[in-house]
Amino acid sequence: MMSHEPIQTLLNANEEWAQKVIKDTPDFFTQSATGQSPKILWFGCSDSRVPESVITASKPGDIFVHRNIANQFHLNDDSALSVLTYAVKVVGVEHVVLVGHTNCGGAAACLKAAEDAAADTGAPQPDTPLTRWLSPLIALVKSLDLSACSASEALDKVVQTNVITQVDNICNSEPITTVWADPNAKKVTVHGWVYDLARGHIDELVFREAQA
Amino acid sequence: MSQLQSNAAEDLINANERWARDVIKHDPNFFKDSATYPQRPKVLWIGCSDSRVPASVVTASMPGDIFTHTNIANQFHSFDDNANSVLSYAVDPVGVKHVVLVGHSVCGGAQAAIQAAEEGPVEPHNPLTRWLVPLIQLVRTLDLHGLPENEAVDKVVEANVLKQVENICLSEPIVSAWATGNNVSVHGWVYDLATGRIRELVVRSPPRANL
Repeated sequence: MMSHEPIQTLLNANEEWAQKVIKDTPDFFTQSATGQSPKILWFGCSDSRVPESVITASKPGDIFVHRNIANQFHLNDDSALSVLTYAVKVVGVEHVVLVGHTNCGGAAACLKAAEDAAADTGAPQPDTPLTRWLSPLIALVKSLDLSACSASEALDKVVQTNVITQVDNICNSEPITTVWADPNAKKVTVHGWVYDLARGHIDELVFREAQA
Repeated sequence: MSQLQSNAAEDLINANERWARDVIKHDPNFFKDSATYPQRPKVLWIGCSDSRVPASVVTASMPGDIFTHTNIANQFHSFDDNANSVLSYAVDPVGVKHVVLVGHSVCGGAQAAIQAAEEGPVEPHNPLTRWLVPLIQLVRTLDLHGLPENEAVDKVVEANVLKQVENICLSEPIVSAWATGNNVSVHGWVYDLATGRIRELVVRSPPRANL
């Protein structure tokens, strides 16, 4: 028999949470329904262990969010590009944070795929949405010299290089180049972060601003 | 971190630090365990990027509970590698048993689609307008005549949820799962911003699931 227990648990938790919010702040939801003005756009990984609003103790209304496998920002991906466009041009965010994390399954899969390709042990990659989605990251892994790294060092290096590459992609996108070229536009900063699962801490790797 | 701006990004990092300390106080092994064991969430949430609908907050969930994908107007396009790769990875290897597709009231994407449908056919000229084409097409099939704006938006939000659930059920990961006895169920939800409550519109299961 199919168990809907996790679903019922979520729905019950939602009811309790809503009641608690109303008790603490009676007009929270009615206010929320009138509009949003988050200062932050978060590009992160779909990994269940990195829920952006929980790990930053944020409330509804704080963070506009896009999460996908291995926190990618591909310049030909309408999904991420439309989020960035809407967040910068309509919602008016001031910070775009691209957040990778340790123990990333997507990054690990790419490491393995690159190793298989190098050793010529893998069968040719099937053409699926997941293999297509990860092919830029696999190419990035192949470009790194990981020969002196242990397995965990290699994964960390891939996670970090991935963050910097995705930040570069974001900075080269039309919404960011446009807002940075406009002297009258609101200031937008792009940040590259890594969330360390073992410590629960976010570390900033890099940030970029419009050239003065 | 940039020294010159006291800024929202810095506030976030500071809040994260306080949160992490709090967690460790209550459960010293939480993060160590989180990093040591693979994730085992039972639920994949496909929702809207809207800041007012953070999946784990509105369901009071902990890290590890919900695999998450969000985009403008909680779409699942059959041709979108982004959403399809998330669904594929979530079903296998992560092993979720429930996919929840979550729309919400007062959705900016739905409002934009209604407006675009009224303006007539336009060649989509940027990623956002291209992204909304399927939703605009859906809006054109609905009768919104005479409805006040908020009711029109509600009608679009619900029709959108049902449509995206259908798209998910027709996707390769779900079709394959159901064909091999993996009884992943697909739920269509609407989150009401004005009350903070989630309402289930529909749930779909494999046609011959053992009951």
